[in-house]
Amino acid sequence: MIPSRRTEFASYLFYRYVRWWMRRKFNVIQPMPFTPKPGHSIFLLINHFSWWDGFFGNYMADTNLGRKFYIMMQHDHFMKHFYFKYIGAFSMKKSSRDMVESLAYTAKLLSNPENMVVVFPQGELCSNHVTHVNVEKGIERIIKQIKGPCQIVYACTLIEYFESLKPSAYIHLYDCGVAGEVPFDTLVENINTFHAQALKDQVNVEH
Amino acid sequence: MIYPKKNILFKWSIHAYVYWLGVRNFKEINFNTVEVDNDKSILLIANHFSAWDTIILSWINRKLLKKKFHVMMLESTAMKEPFLKYAGGFSINKTSKDMVNSLDFAAKLLDDPDNLVLIFPQGKIYSNMISEVVFEKGIMQVIKKAAGKFRLIFAATFIENFENFKPVANTSLKTSVDNSFNTILDLQEAYQQHYTHSRQQQIQIVK
Repeated sequence: MIPSRRTEFASYLFYRYVRWWMRRKFNVIQPMPFTPKPGHSIFLLINHFSWWDGFFGNYMADTNLGRKFYIMMQHDHFMKHFYFKYIGAFSMKKSSRDMVESLAYTAKLLSNPENMVVVFPQGELCSNHVTHVNVEKGIERIIKQIKGPCQIVYACTLIEYFESLKPSAYIHLYDCGVAGEVPFDTLVENINTFHAQALKDQVNVEH
Repeated sequence: MIYPKKNILFKWSIHAYVYWLGVRNFKEINFNTVEVDNDKSILLIANHFSAWDTIILSWINRKLLKKKFHVMMLESTAMKEPFLKYAGGFSINKTSKDMVNSLDFAAKLLDDPDNLVLIFPQGKIYSNMISEVVFEKGIMQVIKKAAGKFRLIFAATFIENFENFKPVANTSLKTSVDNSFNTILDLQEAYQQHYTHSRQQQIQIVK
């Protein structure tokens, strides 16, 4: 596992750049209204359907969640973009002993209420149209190891084009409760209920 | 009603522009092959979720169907984008008596086996996340008036990024074997089957 070497300066520069870049590439980026619990770190679970997803997490960290951004990346992706470690990325090698270390590192980061860690619970790239979100067991292991108040948030990002040639991202945010208070099976069930709700709400979104 | 106009210079310019838009904005535009009759025109029915729909289907027409492209569009769009009439666009105003003329014109276009008429029976842009399509009844007039003269093709398009910087458009085409629909609900149900099947195929993509 390669840990993050996040610096405030690199994070600030990257955030400014990403914001400018995304505003150029997207017609609308619309996170739905959401207020995080004060004094809690945020464990942000995002549906993984494109390589933009991490950038949406970074966008939300500063815009409406107000936490220090960290993100778990697959080891091979991390090696390709090693410079992301300066803005909060750390690596995770699936199906190796190294994974245990990554999960413990994630839990350690989440023990600090100033932090937010983005993880893709599906563990692989799935279609944006999926109706069921698969949540990998590793999430349960992370939650069990968190020492401190941590809010679990599910972000369902849906891409639309509507009248524009540029895509628009609608980010539906849902509170999944506090780590340790929600059993894993209930969490998985809630995430899928929220995902279904997001798909339903999306149909009526204004454009 | 705004009728399509012929101008070879405009036509070539629009073809070049559509090609440039497709190449510049998409990694791939994927579609399956369907049989095309030389002695029958084509009525193409598609889901309407973005400004890209017409461009993608015009691209597919050039590559696969090879007919003279015509598209029915809202009068407000035709007024806003007047150059579209040189690309085969003709208008429909859903709130005026003139609507009958537009539907008759579409049926008349289908008399010529060289023509293709693209209609979005949903009548307006909907989210790409919808699971059920709802058709407006006007299209039945076209189908009844031009009965026996055209081949009916269903198209369902989905756009996704996955690991690519540029999105990939997947269009699933299906020739309707039976064109004798008595009511709009019969047509809607036939299209719904194709749409659901295409959506399931899209959902199954995992990277």
